[in-house]
Amino acid sequence: MTAPPARRPRTTRLRRNPVWNILRYVVLFFALAVFAMPLIWMVLAAVKPATELAQDPFAFPHDIELGNLIEAWKVGRYGTYLGNTLFYCLAIVVGVTLLSCLGGYAFGVLEFPGRDALFAVFLIGVVVPFQAVMIPSYYLVSDLGILGTYWAYILPGIAFGLGFGMFMMRAFFRGLPREIASAARLDGANEWQVFRRVMLPMAWPGLITLTIFQFMFTWKTFLLPLVLVQEESKRPISLGITFFFGRYSSDLGMIAAGVTISSLPMVVVYLLLQRRITEGITQGAVKG
Amino acid sequence: MASTLTVRGAPEKAPRRIGRAPLRSPLVAGLGFLLPAIVVYTVFMIYPFANNVYLSLFEWNGLSPDKEFVGLQNYQTLLADPLFWSALKHNVIWAVLGTVLPVAIGLLLAMLLRDQPRGYTVFRAVFFMPQVLAPVVVAIIFSWIYDPTFGILNRLLDDVGLGALAQPWIGDPNTALYALIAVFIWVETGFGFVVFLAALQEVDTDLLDAAEVDCANAWQSFRHVTLPSITNAMTLVVVIQLIAGLNVFDYVWVMTQGGPANSTDLTSTYLYQQAFRETNVGYGAAVATVSTLITLVAAVAVVQLRERRQ
Repeated sequence: MTAPPARRPRTTRLRRNPVWNILRYVVLFFALAVFAMPLIWMVLAAVKPATELAQDPFAFPHDIELGNLIEAWKVGRYGTYLGNTLFYCLAIVVGVTLLSCLGGYAFGVLEFPGRDALFAVFLIGVVVPFQAVMIPSYYLVSDLGILGTYWAYILPGIAFGLGFGMFMMRAFFRGLPREIASAARLDGANEWQVFRRVMLPMAWPGLITLTIFQFMFTWKTFLLPLVLVQEESKRPISLGITFFFGRYSSDLGMIAAGVTISSLPMVVVYLLLQRRITEGITQGAVKG
Repeated sequence: MASTLTVRGAPEKAPRRIGRAPLRSPLVAGLGFLLPAIVVYTVFMIYPFANNVYLSLFEWNGLSPDKEFVGLQNYQTLLADPLFWSALKHNVIWAVLGTVLPVAIGLLLAMLLRDQPRGYTVFRAVFFMPQVLAPVVVAIIFSWIYDPTFGILNRLLDDVGLGALAQPWIGDPNTALYALIAVFIWVETGFGFVVFLAALQEVDTDLLDAAEVDCANAWQSFRHVTLPSITNAMTLVVVIQLIAGLNVFDYVWVMTQGGPANSTDLTSTYLYQQAFRETNVGYGAAVATVSTLITLVAAVAVVQLRERRQ
């Protein structure tokens, strides 16, 4: 008789020793407070009347006021900004995953001269910060005549995601069994058919991980649009809220409402997809 | 096994199939797949990268049609520029504290949740939460937390009897940089935490049990069993934190814009100021080149160091 696979966590000393166990929870709850309190405070500040807020910032509100949220939504043009962010995220995610999928397949499965050198060039893109190309990028999109359009941020945004995208998709395609591709080739499939019909359907998990990564990254990005998005109506939310903050910096209720509105969608997505997101991150980490 | 057999049997079958599926040259196929990526990457990454080095050799206000070639003069100016050096010093402090502390705290929290105790999922969800918020949003929240009159930090200190420690935090040149780094740590801890938590699940439990049987204390089995088993995760987190720390921009830009009295200037904010506010485009480009070089060297050095040790 063999023991069943031990997937259950083992009993550690922490669990056996009551003193250590209590100490552990003291530390964990302290950390919980540190990580959660700033967020709770912000949401409370958004829905509490100003006088109540000043008295006791953490008390549960007696009456919830949605005035700040409505006002901020109107004045801050959050509808437009959220729509812009979603559009940028969609365009950049599609661009990055599409190009990385094609390229990752070439790097991970095909063999051709200069392959590894070319891959190294893409890999540099993982480390290079946007500051490195910030100044010429601005003049480039301006010379191309796309400054002031959505493309001004989308195209550099895609180029910036390619380093990591290639890195991930290459690792993913390398992990797939090569025999299947060879078998398909011998059955008369050309390289495109092998990719489209055989390998791509197996690459979905990698694609989903990359999509989540790129979506989160684009949602958070600030410096690229700060430099490349010059028109107010085309700002993503990260940019929109900093201008809003600059204008209303002394009105906590308004700021808190803006912060709540702009981060709520992402927090909801995170809570729904929590396992996928953390698994995606750790998978990406382990693959590297 | 079956697939191996198919491949082995292949050479005999292959000749009959020639002509039905013309095999294109591997180079053409490879480049065919890569062409769209190469075009986008070359135009919007490689070209600007090269152009940045080129621009750093000129004096240019960003508007006039003529640029004046000045050779390496921008780099000479940079070497003698105390503001650049202080910005770089802030970057180094940021990168060191912003790597060591998130790694240490993240690892500690992961160790405490290693055996998935009661409340595990809630703790995990909350510890990682700051990672999904946009840095500008976090920066705005903490601007308010640090606010000397309305902020909850000073208020909280007052409540627990430490009112003497109350500060203007980001308004005081002595504390501003560290107050900003604390925000970065608050955000980044969740990343290392999640990676370590996953890596710890992979540690061989037999080895841990064996260590315990051999009377190793908790610290010994951590030091000699756990830590060596998670070196890959460790290297990854260290490299990513280091790069993030050296390239940080958002927090500083939103909270202090480099002030007060340049005490929180980083190379990134300094070059933004130079290029887009002071219209010293060539000089900004020189700052960009040097700071990029430093990031690349630091990242390569850490990876090399790790590999040599193994």
